Amino acid sequence: MLQRFLDPATLASISGLDLVAKTVVDGFVSGLHRSPDFGFSQEFAEYRAYVQGDDLRHVDWNVFARTDRCYLKRYRGETNSQLLVLLDTSASMGFGSHQVTKLDYARFVAASLVYMANGQRDAAGLIVFDEDVVNYVAPSTRQGQLFRLLHAIEKAEPGTRTDFVKPFIHFQNFLLHRRGIVIVLSDFYEDPDTIVKTIEPLRYHGNEVILFHVLDPQELKPKFREPVLLVDMENNTQALEVSPEYARNEYRRRIDSHVASMASKARGAGMEYFLMDTSRPLDEGLREYLAVRKGIL
Amino acid sequence: MGFLAPWFFAGALAVGLPVWLHLLRKHKTTPQPFSSLMFFEKRTQSSIKHRRLRYLVLFTLRTLLVLLIVLAFTKPYVNQRLVPLSRSNQVTVLAIDNSLSMRTGGLLAQAKQAAKSVVSGLHPGERAQVMAFGARVQVMSEVTDDHNTLNAGIDGIEASDARTSFAELSRSLRSIANSLKLPLTVQLYSDMQQTGMPTNFNDLRLNADVKIEPHPMEKKETPNFALENVVAPRRVYDASKKRVLVTVAGFGTKKDIRNVTLVLNGRTIETKSVEVPESSRATVEFNSLDAPYGRNKGEVRIDSADSLPADDVYYFAVERLEPRHALFVHEADNTRGLLYFKAALEASGQSAFEIDPATVEQTTNLNPSKYAFVVLSDVGAIPAGFENELRNYVRGGGAVLISLGHMSVARNKVPVSDGSIEATRYAGREGERFQTAGWLDSSHPSILKDERWEDVKFYQVIRVAPGNARVAAKLADGTPLLIDQQLGGGHVLVFASTFDNLANDFPLHASFVPFVEHTARYLGRMDTGPPSVLVGSFEELRDSQEKGSAVDVVDPKGERALSLEEATKAQNIQFTMAGFYDIRRPNGRNEMVAVNADRQESNLTPASPETLSLWQNTANGTAGDGGQAQQDQKPLSLWWYVMLAVLALAIAESFLGNRHLAVDKEAV
Repeated sequence: MLQRFLDPATLASISGLDLVAKTVVDGFVSGLHRSPDFGFSQEFAEYRAYVQGDDLRHVDWNVFARTDRCYLKRYRGETNSQLLVLLDTSASMGFGSHQVTKLDYARFVAASLVYMANGQRDAAGLIVFDEDVVNYVAPSTRQGQLFRLLHAIEKAEPGTRTDFVKPFIHFQNFLLHRRGIVIVLSDFYEDPDTIVKTIEPLRYHGNEVILFHVLDPQELKPKFREPVLLVDMENNTQALEVSPEYARNEYRRRIDSHVASMASKARGAGMEYFLMDTSRPLDEGLREYLAVRKGIL
Repeated sequence: MGFLAPWFFAGALAVGLPVWLHLLRKHKTTPQPFSSLMFFEKRTQSSIKHRRLRYLVLFTLRTLLVLLIVLAFTKPYVNQRLVPLSRSNQVTVLAIDNSLSMRTGGLLAQAKQAAKSVVSGLHPGERAQVMAFGARVQVMSEVTDDHNTLNAGIDGIEASDARTSFAELSRSLRSIANSLKLPLTVQLYSDMQQTGMPTNFNDLRLNADVKIEPHPMEKKETPNFALENVVAPRRVYDASKKRVLVTVAGFGTKKDIRNVTLVLNGRTIETKSVEVPESSRATVEFNSLDAPYGRNKGEVRIDSADSLPADDVYYFAVERLEPRHALFVHEADNTRGLLYFKAALEASGQSAFEIDPATVEQTTNLNPSKYAFVVLSDVGAIPAGFENELRNYVRGGGAVLISLGHMSVARNKVPVSDGSIEATRYAGREGERFQTAGWLDSSHPSILKDERWEDVKFYQVIRVAPGNARVAAKLADGTPLLIDQQLGGGHVLVFASTFDNLANDFPLHASFVPFVEHTARYLGRMDTGPPSVLVGSFEELRDSQEKGSAVDVVDPKGERALSLEEATKAQNIQFTMAGFYDIRRPNGRNEMVAVNADRQESNLTPASPETLSLWQNTANGTAGDGGQAQQDQKPLSLWWYVMLAVLALAIAESFLGNRHLAVDKEAV
């Protein structure tokens, strides 16, 4: 069952990348990702003049002997990172114009990420939400964590409507005490300002926030042969007859504007943003993400 | 509007295709779940309406396209009104009837006066042409705006003895319109005789740019007596009084008594009264025509006292001649043939020929050239010298009639023609009592049309090989009975039996007399023309052997009818006026020809207004009550226009359909 998410080819492609995520947070794999903190390690970082209150254990006595000045020797700390995947399972994520729905695709991505994190001994966690938190697996490196995560991902089904505000308050208040990488997988059918404002506080805790905008090709470039009656998947009472011309022209312009706005505002708020077209191969999307991150750092 | 192939309307059923495609094949709108309608707005409804509207327009275009294609196949047409040519450059044609009937009551003078008033009303620059017409059209002036020239042309029109022919006028007008390529307005001045109308109304047809305005000079029928016909002998050969039969006709007349006078060479011979029934005919017979030797001018007159005196006289020519001699050669012991032949010739009533009998022996010193023709009646051997004379005589234009009997069998050849005698057929010996004539060539001058010889019994017939000669009669078994052989300039006519009532009983039958008479006329080259001809007819002046010799023709006015050049070259002459023409040929064959006006001119009944209106319709499509001009109509095919509309619709349909289908194609 788990093999459904752990496509060896996909994972081999990811593992084959030289995943050097030079982020300011903990790396996915211990030793590969530098910690923003200075700690006890073998890699020298800098000297700093001693000030009152510093731990004398960090004083470089060799330097004091030669210069009569107290300097503290600082090393780069190497630590494991914490990965938290926020998976949107609202009803709209159940949409798919081909075999793979958006939720399926998001689950693939989430599974791949937690697997990769697990391989790097990173603590990986999962929050499944729609208009509220549906499932929560706390980040951990314990034995069997990977299977718990994959099980939780497997159980995720399209729920009700999306409400970013309510579940994210929970995240901020209770769930995210430790800094790490937060990956949000959603179709983001909300005003970009609202989304960014809701997610932005996660950044304040020192998290690296990455937004994966999962959209179906039919949502990006809808193609209708004739007028269709569209029913909102999150609100069955709402239906609208749409002409092919509108879908081809006006709608595309609006969705493109929405995507551009999302990207712009997310990056403005210090978050990474990636658009994931469910028609594209899964590894392509991840490879692009990793390549971009490598390029930035 | 009409359709040349209306059955193609059945193709309109093809409209069902777009109807089914657009209307019947309902597009089902099944609800389709979509992740979010966040980016759709209510105003998309307007685009739906636009799309539906465009869909309906596309349906309409396709339906119209099908209907127009069907319409194109039905070949529609409309009756197009012919827009008459701009008449700014029109030419006024003044056509004046100068036929015989226009002599009535000064009609011609009135017509000329009316035409002159039209000329005076012409504005400067307006051009006109004057023409006179009767049986022929005579152009009296060129197309000009000079009033003096036009008036001179009108003054130059003289009354003629010709008959009216509106068909000839129409033909000339068509020709003028075609050559000028300008609209014509024809002012027609005529008494509009009904008899001038052609039997085929199509002959009156005028071009579309010819507008004819008839001005009837005579509105009602004028009573008129006329000498319609005179039957008199053309030539007489003896002093006996001849018969003249006169037909008097009354046109629109009441029952009345007229005096008819026979005049010869200006001398009244006899006058008779005749009662002419109302608008009918009466005949008068004179048996007092005693013509002196030579050419005589005969006339018949009536005292009609009507307005058209020109038809109250009828001319005829009578020529008194000496009878011509014909040589009849027979065996001395057989005079029966002579008896029957001479009796038949005398019984014909015309003593044109006088038979000179001669036996074979008497022919030795005879010269046949002085005879009109020679008859060899069942002769045996004839003197060789005479036979040679006969051959020369025939080659020089003479004629010989040979009857073959038992005497002829002694020779193997027919005299003169040298045709071989094959056998003698005796009907009684061959099991048949007699033979009958099985076939007659009615086109031969010796045989009257409709003549029948069925009852004639032939007991003995000499079979002669016809060779290249013409066989005019055959017996029932195919034996040639009458053979006409051309020899030089003359003829040899061989009758394969005898005239003696022994070898056949032909002389006892009534058909024998006309046979002898016509044969004599044919062999003697006797001209049997009528005693008078009509104005407008032609007479031959010379034959092919008389080229270059002058022919003198004196018309009824006593003037020479031919110029010097015409006198030496003209092959024939057309008689243009009533009276006596004196034709003097170089070979001495002088002739007097009596010419009379066509008696159809005597009937002064005018054509009905409906007929005139129809005539006008042939030109400008006028219909008649108020004389208001209407435009002519002719069918104009709309095929091209329909096909252009089809093309435009097809382009529009392609454009609209392409836009409509562009979305669909992208969605595939």
